[in-house]
Amino acid sequence: MSPSPSSDADPDAGTDAPVDPTGPDTVLELDGVDSGYGDVQVLDDLTLHLDASEIVCLIGPNGAGKSTVLKTVFGLLQPWSGAIRYRGDDIGGMAPEDVVRNGIGYVPQTDNVFGSLTVEENLRMGGVARDDDLDPVIDRLYERFPVVDEKRDAKARTLSGGQRQVLAFARALVMEPGVLLIDEPSAGLAPNTAADVFDDVREVNALDTAILMVEQNATEGLAISDRGYVLDQGTVRFTDDADALLDDDQVSRLYLGG
Amino acid sequence: MPVLEYLANGLVFSSIIVLASIGLSLVYSIADFANFAHGDTMTVGAYAALATFGVVGGLGVSVLGLPLGFFVALAVGVVTAAVVAAATHKLVYESLDTDSIGLLITSIGVAFVYRALVQIRFGSDFTGFGIQVLRPIEALVPYGVRVTQHDVAIVVSAALLVGGLHLLLQHTDLGRKMRATADNPDLARVSGIRTARVKLWTWLIGAGLAGAGGVFLGLYNQLSPRMGFNILLVVFAAVILGGIGSVYGAMLGGFLIGMINQLTPLLSDVGIPIGIEYANAVAFVIMVAVLLVRPNGIAGEAAT
Repeated sequence: MSPSPSSDADPDAGTDAPVDPTGPDTVLELDGVDSGYGDVQVLDDLTLHLDASEIVCLIGPNGAGKSTVLKTVFGLLQPWSGAIRYRGDDIGGMAPEDVVRNGIGYVPQTDNVFGSLTVEENLRMGGVARDDDLDPVIDRLYERFPVVDEKRDAKARTLSGGQRQVLAFARALVMEPGVLLIDEPSAGLAPNTAADVFDDVREVNALDTAILMVEQNATEGLAISDRGYVLDQGTVRFTDDADALLDDDQVSRLYLGG
Repeated sequence: MPVLEYLANGLVFSSIIVLASIGLSLVYSIADFANFAHGDTMTVGAYAALATFGVVGGLGVSVLGLPLGFFVALAVGVVTAAVVAAATHKLVYESLDTDSIGLLITSIGVAFVYRALVQIRFGSDFTGFGIQVLRPIEALVPYGVRVTQHDVAIVVSAALLVGGLHLLLQHTDLGRKMRATADNPDLARVSGIRTARVKLWTWLIGAGLAGAGGVFLGLYNQLSPRMGFNILLVVFAAVILGGIGSVYGAMLGGFLIGMINQLTPLLSDVGIPIGIEYANAVAFVIMVAVLLVRPNGIAGEAAT
Protein backbone atom coordinates (compact mmCIF):
# COMPACT_ATOMS: atom_id res chain seq x y z
CA MET A 1 0.00 0.00 0.00
CA SER A 2 1.45 3.33 -0.97
CA PRO A 3 0.77 6.47 1.04
CA SER A 4 -2.17 8.31 -0.37
CA PRO A 5 -2.23 12.02 0.31
CA SER A 6 -5.40 12.09 -1.73
CA SER A 7 -7.66 9.54 -3.29
CA ASP A 8 -7.31 10.61 -6.88
CA ALA A 9 -4.00 12.46 -7.12
CA ASP A 10 -0.51 11.26 -7.73
CA PRO A 11 0.86 10.08 -4.39
CA ASP A 12 4.11 11.83 -5.14
CA ALA A 13 2.46 15.21 -5.54
CA GLY A 14 3.62 15.92 -2.00
CA THR A 15 2.48 19.29 -0.80
CA ASP A 16 -0.88 19.30 -2.56
CA ALA A 17 -3.66 19.44 0.00
CA PRO A 18 -5.51 16.13 0.06
CA VAL A 19 -9.01 16.14 -1.32
CA ASP A 20 -11.56 16.09 1.45
CA PRO A 21 -14.93 15.17 0.01
CA THR A 22 -17.91 16.21 2.09
CA GLY A 23 -21.28 14.58 1.66
CA PRO A 24 -24.88 14.95 2.73
CA ASP A 25 -23.96 13.29 6.06
CA THR A 26 -21.31 15.88 6.91
CA VAL A 27 -22.06 17.55 10.25
CA LEU A 28 -18.87 19.51 10.84
CA GLU A 29 -16.63 20.98 8.21
CA LEU A 30 -13.51 23.14 8.26
CA ASP A 31 -12.75 24.71 4.92
CA GLY A 32 -9.37 26.37 4.34
CA VAL A 33 -9.03 27.54 7.95
CA ASP A 34 -6.09 29.64 9.13
CA SER A 35 -5.82 30.25 12.86
CA GLY A 36 -3.34 30.76 15.68
CA TYR A 37 -2.43 32.46 18.92
CA GLY A 38 -1.77 36.20 18.79
CA ASP A 39 0.49 36.73 15.79
CA VAL A 40 1.65 33.14 15.64
CA GLN A 41 -0.08 31.16 12.93
CA VAL A 42 -0.71 27.51 13.74
CA LEU A 43 -3.34 26.30 11.29
CA ASP A 44 -2.53 26.81 7.64
CA ASP A 45 -5.32 26.33 5.13
CA LEU A 46 -6.72 23.39 7.06
CA THR A 47 -9.59 21.45 5.56
CA LEU A 48 -11.33 18.50 7.18
CA HIS A 49 -14.80 17.18 7.86
CA LEU A 50 -16.75 14.94 10.18
CA ASP A 51 -19.74 12.88 9.08
CA ALA A 52 -22.67 11.88 11.25
CA SER A 53 -21.97 8.94 13.60
CA GLU A 54 -18.26 8.86 12.75
CA ILE A 55 -15.25 8.85 15.02
CA VAL A 56 -12.47 10.82 13.40
CA CYS A 57 -9.02 10.99 14.93
CA LEU A 58 -6.50 13.80 14.44
CA ILE A 59 -2.92 12.63 14.84
CA GLY A 60 0.43 14.22 14.21
CA PRO A 61 3.54 15.43 15.97
CA ASN A 62 3.59 17.94 18.85
CA GLY A 63 2.86 21.43 17.62
CA ALA A 64 1.08 20.19 14.51
CA GLY A 65 -2.01 22.16 15.54
CA LYS A 66 -4.29 19.29 16.61
CA SER A 67 -5.64 20.97 19.72
CA THR A 68 -5.77 24.27 17.87
CA VAL A 69 -8.28 22.72 15.47
CA LEU A 70 -10.66 21.97 18.35
CA LYS A 71 -10.16 25.35 20.02
CA THR A 72 -10.83 27.15 16.75
CA VAL A 73 -14.01 25.16 16.09
CA PHE A 74 -15.17 25.96 19.60
CA GLY A 75 -14.57 29.70 19.42
CA LEU A 76 -11.77 29.73 21.99
CA LEU A 77 -9.63 30.92 19.08
CA GLN A 78 -10.86 33.05 16.20
CA PRO A 79 -10.35 31.68 12.69
CA TRP A 80 -8.27 34.17 10.69
CA SER A 81 -9.77 33.00 7.43
CA GLY A 82 -11.72 30.12 6.00
CA ALA A 83 -15.08 28.73 7.03
CA ILE A 84 -16.26 26.45 9.84
CA ARG A 85 -19.70 24.95 9.22
CA TYR A 86 -21.92 22.92 11.51
CA ARG A 87 -24.79 21.27 9.66
CA GLY A 88 -24.27 23.81 6.90
CA ASP A 89 -24.37 26.92 9.15
CA ASP A 90 -21.25 29.03 9.51
CA ILE A 91 -20.12 28.98 13.15
CA GLY A 92 -16.64 30.46 12.57
CA GLY A 93 -15.73 32.88 15.36
CA MET A 94 -18.90 32.17 17.36
CA ALA A 95 -18.42 32.46 21.15
CA PRO A 96 -18.04 29.12 22.99
CA GLU A 97 -21.22 29.66 25.00
CA ASP A 98 -23.13 29.91 21.72
CA VAL A 99 -21.33 27.02 20.04
CA VAL A 100 -22.56 24.81 22.90
CA ARG A 101 -26.11 25.92 22.25
CA ASN A 102 -25.74 24.88 18.62
CA GLY A 103 -25.15 21.28 19.63
CA ILE A 104 -21.39 20.86 19.83
CA GLY A 105 -19.64 19.65 22.98
CA TYR A 106 -15.99 20.01 23.92
CA VAL A 107 -13.83 18.10 26.38
CA PRO A 108 -10.55 20.01 26.90
CA GLN A 109 -7.34 18.09 27.55
CA THR A 110 -6.47 19.66 30.91
CA ASP A 111 -8.48 21.47 33.56
CA ASN A 112 -11.57 19.83 32.16
CA VAL A 113 -13.57 19.64 35.39
CA PHE A 114 -14.49 22.30 37.98
CA GLY A 115 -12.24 21.08 40.80
CA SER A 116 -13.90 23.07 43.57
CA LEU A 117 -17.40 21.94 42.60
CA THR A 118 -18.97 18.59 43.40
CA VAL A 119 -19.49 15.96 40.71
CA GLU A 120 -23.22 16.74 40.73
CA GLU A 121 -22.55 20.46 40.37
CA ASN A 122 -20.14 19.79 37.52
CA LEU A 123 -22.91 17.98 35.66
CA ARG A 124 -25.39 20.79 36.40
CA MET A 125 -22.89 23.26 34.95
CA GLY A 126 -22.75 21.10 31.84
CA GLY A 127 -26.46 21.68 31.34
CA VAL A 128 -26.80 25.42 31.97
CA ALA A 129 -27.75 25.94 28.34
CA ARG A 130 -30.67 23.48 28.56
CA ASP A 131 -34.11 24.90 29.20
CA ASP A 132 -35.72 21.65 30.29
CA ASP A 133 -35.36 19.70 33.52
CA LEU A 134 -31.78 18.46 33.95
CA ASP A 135 -32.58 15.60 36.33
CA PRO A 136 -33.57 12.91 33.78
CA VAL A 137 -30.48 13.58 31.65
CA ILE A 138 -28.17 13.58 34.63
CA ASP A 139 -29.77 10.39 35.98
CA ARG A 140 -29.14 8.66 32.65
CA LEU A 141 -25.50 9.78 32.75
CA TYR A 142 -25.12 8.41 36.28
CA GLU A 143 -26.48 5.10 35.01
CA ARG A 144 -24.09 5.04 32.10
CA PHE A 145 -21.07 6.09 34.16
CA PRO A 146 -21.31 4.39 37.57
CA VAL A 147 -17.84 5.74 38.44
CA VAL A 148 -19.22 9.24 38.78
CA ASP A 149 -22.48 8.04 40.33
CA GLU A 150 -20.54 6.80 43.35
CA LYS A 151 -18.92 10.21 43.76
CA ARG A 152 -21.90 12.54 43.36
CA ASP A 153 -21.11 14.69 46.39
CA ALA A 154 -17.33 14.54 46.15
CA LYS A 155 -15.40 17.59 44.99
CA ALA A 156 -14.14 16.94 41.48
CA ARG A 157 -10.56 17.68 42.51
CA THR A 158 -10.59 14.58 44.70
CA LEU A 159 -11.25 12.26 41.73
CA SER A 160 -8.57 10.11 40.15
CA GLY A 161 -7.33 10.94 36.66
CA GLY A 162 -9.58 8.36 35.02
CA GLN A 163 -12.65 9.37 37.03
CA ARG A 164 -11.97 12.98 36.18
CA GLN A 165 -11.84 12.16 32.48
CA VAL A 166 -15.16 10.33 32.71
CA LEU A 167 -16.69 13.31 34.54
CA ALA A 168 -15.35 15.62 31.85
CA PHE A 169 -17.15 13.49 29.22
CA ALA A 170 -20.32 13.36 31.26
CA ARG A 171 -20.31 17.14 31.72
CA ALA A 172 -20.08 17.64 27.97
CA LEU A 173 -22.78 15.01 27.34
CA VAL A 174 -25.43 16.72 29.50
CA MET A 175 -26.18 18.86 26.45
CA GLU A 176 -26.63 15.68 24.35
CA PRO A 177 -24.48 17.21 21.62
CA GLY A 178 -24.58 16.09 18.00
CA VAL A 179 -20.81 16.47 17.77
CA LEU A 180 -18.29 15.99 20.54
CA LEU A 181 -14.75 17.35 20.33
CA ILE A 182 -12.33 15.50 22.59
CA ASP A 183 -8.77 16.65 23.23
CA GLU A 184 -6.38 13.82 24.13
CA PRO A 185 -8.69 11.61 26.20
CA SER A 186 -5.85 9.29 27.21
CA ALA A 187 -3.34 11.98 28.24
CA GLY A 188 -1.79 11.28 31.60
CA LEU A 189 -3.72 8.07 32.18
CA ALA A 190 -2.36 4.62 32.96
CA PRO A 191 -2.71 2.23 29.97
CA ASN A 192 -5.66 0.23 31.34
CA THR A 193 -7.48 3.42 32.41
CA ALA A 194 -6.85 4.84 28.96
CA ALA A 195 -8.39 1.72 27.46
CA ASP A 196 -11.50 2.25 29.60
CA VAL A 197 -11.72 5.84 28.44
CA PHE A 198 -11.45 4.74 24.79
CA ASP A 199 -14.30 2.30 25.47
CA ASP A 200 -16.32 5.21 26.80
CA VAL A 201 -15.57 7.22 23.67
CA ARG A 202 -16.88 4.36 21.54
CA GLU A 203 -19.94 4.02 23.70
CA VAL A 204 -20.75 7.72 23.45
CA ASN A 205 -20.33 7.44 19.70
CA ALA A 206 -22.71 4.49 19.56
CA LEU A 207 -25.41 6.80 20.94
CA ASP A 208 -25.27 8.79 17.74
CA THR A 209 -22.74 11.44 18.66
CA ALA A 210 -20.14 12.13 16.01
CA ILE A 211 -16.70 12.48 17.55
CA LEU A 212 -13.69 14.49 16.48
CA MET A 213 -10.82 13.42 18.68
CA VAL A 214 -7.22 14.54 19.07
CA GLU A 215 -4.94 11.78 20.27
CA GLN A 216 -1.23 11.72 20.99
CA ASN A 217 -1.37 7.97 21.23
CA ALA A 218 -2.02 7.66 17.51
CA THR A 219 -2.19 3.88 17.26
CA GLU A 220 -4.75 3.53 20.03
CA GLY A 221 -6.71 6.52 18.80
CA LEU A 222 -6.92 5.26 15.23
CA ALA A 223 -7.86 1.79 16.44
CA ILE A 224 -11.27 3.03 17.62
CA SER A 225 -11.75 5.56 14.81
CA ASP A 226 -13.45 5.36 11.42
CA ARG A 227 -11.15 7.81 9.74
CA GLY A 228 -8.04 9.77 10.55
CA TYR A 229 -6.23 12.93 9.56
CA VAL A 230 -2.49 13.31 9.91
CA LEU A 231 -1.67 16.92 10.70
CA ASP A 232 1.76 18.42 10.34
CA GLN A 233 2.65 22.10 10.60
CA GLY A 234 -0.96 23.15 10.75
CA THR A 235 -2.24 21.39 7.70
CA VAL A 236 -3.51 17.95 6.67
CA ARG A 237 -0.72 15.73 5.27
CA PHE A 238 -2.64 12.50 4.89
CA THR A 239 -6.19 11.36 5.33
CA ASP A 240 -7.72 7.96 4.95
CA ASP A 241 -9.74 5.34 6.72
CA ALA A 242 -8.22 4.69 10.12
CA ASP A 243 -7.23 1.10 9.22
CA ALA A 244 -5.54 2.25 6.05
CA LEU A 245 -3.54 4.88 7.93
CA LEU A 246 -2.45 2.27 10.47
CA ASP A 247 -1.25 0.02 7.63
CA ASP A 248 0.39 2.83 5.70
CA ASP A 249 4.18 2.51 5.68
CA GLN A 250 4.91 6.20 5.33
CA VAL A 251 2.42 7.26 8.00
CA SER A 252 3.77 4.55 10.29
CA ARG A 253 7.33 5.59 9.79
CA LEU A 254 6.75 9.33 10.13
CA TYR A 255 3.95 9.58 12.67
CA LEU A 256 3.25 6.32 14.44
CA GLY A 257 6.84 5.72 15.46
CA GLY A 258 6.64 2.31 13.76
CA MET B 1 -9.98 42.35 82.61
CA PRO B 2 -12.67 43.43 80.15
CA VAL B 3 -12.05 40.55 77.76
CA LEU B 4 -15.72 40.15 77.04
CA GLU B 5 -15.92 43.80 76.13
CA TYR B 6 -13.03 43.44 73.68
CA LEU B 7 -14.60 40.34 72.19
CA ALA B 8 -17.91 42.14 71.74
CA ASN B 9 -16.20 45.09 70.09
CA GLY B 10 -14.21 42.66 67.99
CA LEU B 11 -17.41 41.06 66.79
CA VAL B 12 -18.81 44.43 65.70
CA PHE B 13 -15.63 45.53 63.95
CA SER B 14 -15.21 42.08 62.37
CA SER B 15 -18.69 42.31 60.91
CA ILE B 16 -17.68 45.39 58.96
CA ILE B 17 -14.35 43.90 57.85
CA VAL B 18 -16.04 40.66 56.80
CA LEU B 19 -18.52 42.48 54.57
CA ALA B 20 -15.70 44.39 52.91
CA SER B 21 -13.42 41.33 52.62
CA ILE B 22 -16.02 39.16 50.91
CA GLY B 23 -16.55 41.74 48.20
CA LEU B 24 -12.83 42.16 47.60
CA SER B 25 -12.32 38.41 47.40
CA LEU B 26 -15.32 37.81 45.14
CA VAL B 27 -14.12 40.38 42.65
CA TYR B 28 -10.58 39.02 42.83
CA SER B 29 -11.80 35.49 42.19
CA ILE B 30 -13.60 36.40 39.01
CA ALA B 31 -12.00 39.59 37.67
CA ASP B 32 -8.53 38.40 38.65
CA PHE B 33 -7.13 41.63 40.04
CA ALA B 34 -6.74 43.31 43.43
CA ASN B 35 -9.28 46.10 43.34
CA PHE B 36 -7.81 49.13 45.11
CA ALA B 37 -11.04 51.04 44.56
CA HIS B 38 -12.85 48.63 46.87
CA GLY B 39 -12.34 50.80 49.96
CA ASP B 40 -13.66 53.83 48.16
CA THR B 41 -16.62 51.77 46.96
CA MET B 42 -17.44 51.45 50.67
CA THR B 43 -17.19 55.23 50.96
CA VAL B 44 -19.56 55.68 48.00
CA GLY B 45 -22.09 53.39 49.70
CA ALA B 46 -21.77 55.23 53.00
CA TYR B 47 -22.31 58.65 51.49
CA ALA B 48 -25.19 57.49 49.29
CA ALA B 49 -26.83 56.25 52.50
CA LEU B 50 -26.02 59.55 54.22
CA ALA B 51 -27.69 61.55 51.46
CA THR B 52 -30.72 59.25 51.51
CA PHE B 53 -30.93 59.36 55.29
CA GLY B 54 -31.13 63.15 55.12
CA VAL B 55 -34.36 62.73 53.18
CA VAL B 56 -36.01 59.70 54.81
CA GLY B 57 -34.29 59.84 58.21
CA GLY B 58 -37.33 60.28 60.40
CA LEU B 59 -39.26 57.59 58.60
CA GLY B 60 -41.09 54.94 60.53
CA VAL B 61 -40.68 53.17 63.82
CA SER B 62 -37.40 52.37 65.43
CA VAL B 63 -35.72 48.97 65.15
CA LEU B 64 -32.68 48.34 67.38
CA GLY B 65 -32.37 52.06 68.02
CA LEU B 66 -32.35 52.81 64.33
CA PRO B 67 -35.26 54.47 62.53
CA LEU B 68 -36.69 52.46 59.65
CA GLY B 69 -35.41 55.24 57.40
CA PHE B 70 -31.87 54.12 58.20
CA PHE B 71 -32.56 50.73 56.65
CA VAL B 72 -33.96 52.43 53.57
CA ALA B 73 -30.76 54.49 53.43
CA LEU B 74 -28.72 51.28 53.88
CA ALA B 75 -30.48 49.71 50.91
CA VAL B 76 -29.81 52.79 48.78
CA GLY B 77 -26.16 52.74 49.86
CA VAL B 78 -25.84 49.07 48.87
CA VAL B 79 -27.49 49.57 45.50
CA THR B 80 -25.48 52.72 44.73
CA ALA B 81 -22.16 51.05 45.55
CA ALA B 82 -23.16 48.03 43.44
CA VAL B 83 -24.25 50.09 40.44
CA VAL B 84 -21.24 52.41 40.56
CA ALA B 85 -18.82 49.45 40.70
CA ALA B 86 -20.63 47.51 37.96
CA ALA B 87 -20.67 50.61 35.74
CA THR B 88 -16.94 51.07 36.37
CA HIS B 89 -16.39 47.42 35.41
CA LYS B 90 -18.30 47.88 32.16
CA LEU B 91 -16.93 51.29 31.20
CA VAL B 92 -13.35 51.15 32.49
CA TYR B 93 -11.99 47.70 33.36
CA GLU B 94 -13.69 45.71 30.62
CA SER B 95 -12.77 48.15 27.87
CA LEU B 96 -9.08 48.10 28.82
CA ASP B 97 -6.84 45.64 27.06
CA THR B 98 -4.44 45.03 29.94
CA ASP B 99 -3.32 42.42 32.46
CA SER B 100 -4.12 42.15 36.15
CA ILE B 101 -1.31 44.56 37.11
CA GLY B 102 -2.66 47.12 34.66
CA LEU B 103 -6.13 46.69 36.12
CA LEU B 104 -4.76 47.04 39.65
CA ILE B 105 -3.10 50.36 38.78
CA THR B 106 -6.25 51.50 36.99
CA SER B 107 -8.28 50.73 40.10
CA ILE B 108 -6.04 53.05 42.14
CA GLY B 109 -6.98 55.82 39.70
CA VAL B 110 -10.64 54.85 39.97
CA ALA B 111 -10.32 55.07 43.77
CA PHE B 112 -9.06 58.67 43.48
CA VAL B 113 -11.98 59.56 41.23
CA TYR B 114 -14.59 58.09 43.62
CA ARG B 115 -13.00 59.86 46.57
CA ALA B 116 -12.71 63.21 44.77
CA LEU B 117 -16.36 63.08 43.68
CA VAL B 118 -17.49 62.31 47.23
CA GLN B 119 -15.33 65.14 48.54
CA ILE B 120 -16.65 67.63 45.96
CA ARG B 121 -20.21 66.90 46.94
CA PHE B 122 -19.91 66.36 50.70
CA GLY B 123 -16.69 68.16 51.72
CA SER B 124 -13.70 66.61 53.43
CA ASP B 125 -14.85 66.98 57.05
CA PHE B 126 -15.94 64.15 59.27
CA THR B 127 -19.67 63.77 59.44
CA GLY B 128 -22.22 61.29 60.75
CA PHE B 129 -25.76 60.08 60.28
CA GLY B 130 -26.82 62.23 63.22
CA ILE B 131 -28.62 59.33 64.86
CA GLN B 132 -28.64 59.77 68.60
CA VAL B 133 -25.79 57.84 70.21
CA LEU B 134 -27.33 55.18 72.41
CA ARG B 135 -26.44 54.14 75.91
CA PRO B 136 -25.02 50.63 76.26
CA ILE B 137 -27.58 47.86 76.63
CA GLU B 138 -28.32 47.77 80.36
CA ALA B 139 -28.68 44.03 80.66
CA LEU B 140 -25.09 43.45 79.46
CA VAL B 141 -23.35 46.12 81.54
CA PRO B 142 -22.99 43.93 84.65
CA TYR B 143 -20.92 41.53 82.55
CA GLY B 144 -18.58 44.37 81.65
CA VAL B 145 -19.86 44.46 78.08
CA ARG B 146 -20.86 47.87 76.83
CA VAL B 147 -22.46 47.51 73.43
CA THR B 148 -25.30 49.53 72.00
CA GLN B 149 -28.30 48.37 70.04
CA HIS B 150 -26.59 49.88 67.01
CA ASP B 151 -23.72 47.45 67.48
CA VAL B 152 -26.20 44.60 67.62
CA ALA B 153 -27.84 45.91 64.45
CA ILE B 154 -24.47 45.88 62.68
CA VAL B 155 -23.67 42.30 63.73
CA VAL B 156 -27.15 40.98 62.91
CA SER B 157 -27.26 42.71 59.52
CA ALA B 158 -23.81 41.44 58.61
CA ALA B 159 -24.75 37.92 59.70
CA LEU B 160 -27.90 38.05 57.56
CA LEU B 161 -25.94 39.28 54.53
CA VAL B 162 -23.21 36.66 54.93
CA GLY B 163 -25.83 33.93 55.43
CA GLY B 164 -27.69 35.13 52.38
CA LEU B 165 -24.52 35.07 50.29
CA HIS B 166 -23.78 31.53 51.46
CA LEU B 167 -27.26 30.38 50.37
CA LEU B 168 -26.83 32.15 47.06
CA LEU B 169 -23.43 30.57 46.38
CA GLN B 170 -24.38 27.04 47.41
CA HIS B 171 -28.01 26.68 46.45
CA THR B 172 -28.80 28.85 43.47
CA ASP B 173 -27.96 28.54 39.83
CA LEU B 174 -26.27 31.94 39.83
CA GLY B 175 -24.13 30.96 42.83
CA ARG B 176 -22.99 27.73 41.17
CA LYS B 177 -22.19 29.63 37.98
CA MET B 178 -20.21 32.18 40.00
CA ARG B 179 -18.17 29.42 41.62
CA ALA B 180 -17.68 27.63 38.31
CA THR B 181 -16.56 30.82 36.57
CA ALA B 182 -14.14 31.65 39.39
CA ASP B 183 -12.81 28.08 39.28
CA ASN B 184 -12.20 27.85 35.54
CA PRO B 185 -13.45 30.64 33.25
CA ASP B 186 -12.64 28.83 29.99
CA LEU B 187 -14.41 25.64 31.02
CA ALA B 188 -17.34 27.78 32.21
CA ARG B 189 -17.75 29.23 28.73
CA VAL B 190 -17.25 25.83 27.13
CA SER B 191 -20.07 24.56 29.36
CA GLY B 192 -22.33 27.30 28.08
CA ILE B 193 -22.18 29.73 31.00
CA ARG B 194 -22.52 33.32 29.86
CA THR B 195 -19.55 34.44 31.92
CA ALA B 196 -19.89 38.15 31.09
CA ARG B 197 -23.25 38.15 32.89
CA VAL B 198 -21.88 36.16 35.81
CA LYS B 199 -19.01 38.65 36.13
CA LEU B 200 -21.42 41.57 36.20
CA TRP B 201 -23.47 39.89 38.94
CA THR B 202 -20.29 39.24 40.91
CA TRP B 203 -19.38 42.92 40.75
CA LEU B 204 -22.88 43.90 41.84
CA ILE B 205 -22.87 41.52 44.80
CA GLY B 206 -19.29 42.18 45.89
CA ALA B 207 -19.64 45.96 45.69
CA GLY B 208 -23.09 45.84 47.30
CA LEU B 209 -21.62 44.08 50.32
CA ALA B 210 -18.81 46.66 50.41
CA GLY B 211 -21.47 49.39 50.35
CA ALA B 212 -23.18 47.80 53.35
CA GLY B 213 -19.82 47.61 55.12
CA GLY B 214 -19.28 51.30 54.37
CA VAL B 215 -22.67 52.29 55.79
CA PHE B 216 -22.01 50.31 58.98
CA LEU B 217 -18.51 51.77 59.26
CA GLY B 218 -20.09 55.22 59.09
CA LEU B 219 -22.55 54.26 61.81
CA TYR B 220 -19.82 52.66 63.95
CA ASN B 221 -17.34 55.52 63.56
CA GLN B 222 -17.93 58.53 61.36
CA LEU B 223 -18.00 59.27 57.67
CA SER B 224 -15.18 60.92 55.81
CA PRO B 225 -14.05 60.72 52.18
CA ARG B 226 -11.00 58.71 53.27
CA MET B 227 -12.91 56.27 55.47
CA GLY B 228 -12.89 53.42 52.98
CA PHE B 229 -9.35 53.94 51.79
CA ASN B 230 -8.10 54.05 55.38
CA ILE B 231 -9.58 50.66 56.12
CA LEU B 232 -8.56 49.06 52.80
CA LEU B 233 -5.21 47.83 54.10
CA VAL B 234 -6.92 45.98 56.93
CA VAL B 235 -9.38 44.48 54.45
CA PHE B 236 -6.54 43.33 52.21
CA ALA B 237 -4.85 41.76 55.21
CA ALA B 238 -8.06 39.90 56.01
CA VAL B 239 -8.50 38.65 52.45
CA ILE B 240 -4.87 37.55 52.14
CA LEU B 241 -4.97 35.87 55.54
CA GLY B 242 -8.09 33.93 54.53
CA GLY B 243 -6.71 33.01 51.11
CA ILE B 244 -7.29 35.50 48.31
CA GLY B 245 -10.09 34.53 45.95
CA SER B 246 -11.82 32.33 48.51
CA VAL B 247 -15.08 33.80 49.77
CA TYR B 248 -15.20 31.61 52.87
CA GLY B 249 -11.55 32.37 53.54
CA ALA B 250 -12.39 36.07 53.37
CA MET B 251 -15.13 35.55 55.94
CA LEU B 252 -12.72 33.81 58.28
CA GLY B 253 -9.86 36.23 57.60
CA GLY B 254 -12.13 39.24 58.12
CA PHE B 255 -13.37 37.80 61.37
CA LEU B 256 -9.85 37.08 62.65
CA ILE B 257 -8.33 40.41 61.63
CA GLY B 258 -11.26 42.34 63.11
CA MET B 259 -11.00 40.39 66.35
CA ILE B 260 -7.22 40.74 66.65
CA ASN B 261 -7.55 44.44 65.96
CA GLN B 262 -10.00 44.94 68.83
CA LEU B 263 -8.22 42.57 71.21
CA THR B 264 -4.98 44.58 71.08
CA PRO B 265 -5.75 46.45 74.37
CA LEU B 266 -5.43 43.07 76.02
CA LEU B 267 -1.67 43.31 75.47
CA SER B 268 -1.31 46.42 77.66
CA ASP B 269 -3.65 44.86 80.19
CA VAL B 270 -1.30 41.94 80.70
CA GLY B 271 1.73 44.24 80.83
CA ILE B 272 3.05 44.05 77.29
CA PRO B 273 3.72 47.66 76.32
CA ILE B 274 2.01 47.66 72.94
CA GLY B 275 -0.65 50.34 72.74
CA ILE B 276 -3.91 50.26 70.78
CA GLU B 277 -2.36 52.56 68.18
CA TYR B 278 -0.55 49.40 67.06
CA ALA B 279 -3.78 47.46 66.57
CA ASN B 280 -3.34 47.23 62.81
CA ALA B 281 0.35 46.46 63.12
CA VAL B 282 -0.40 43.54 65.44
CA ALA B 283 -2.97 42.23 62.97
CA PHE B 284 -0.43 42.48 60.13
CA VAL B 285 2.27 40.72 62.14
CA ILE B 286 -0.09 37.83 62.79
CA MET B 287 -1.03 37.79 59.10
CA VAL B 288 2.64 37.55 58.13
CA ALA B 289 3.16 34.77 60.68
CA VAL B 290 0.26 32.77 59.25
CA LEU B 291 1.45 33.29 55.70
CA LEU B 292 4.88 31.96 56.61
CA VAL B 293 3.18 28.67 57.44
CA ARG B 294 0.42 28.80 54.83
CA PRO B 295 1.64 30.96 51.94
CA ASN B 296 -1.75 30.83 50.19
CA GLY B 297 -3.74 31.82 53.24
CA ILE B 298 -5.84 29.75 55.59
CA ALA B 299 -8.38 28.59 53.01
CA GLY B 300 -6.09 29.04 50.02
CA GLU B 301 -5.16 26.16 47.80
CA ALA B 302 -1.83 25.54 46.22
CA ALA B 303 -1.47 27.79 43.21
CA THR B 304 -2.66 26.10 40.04
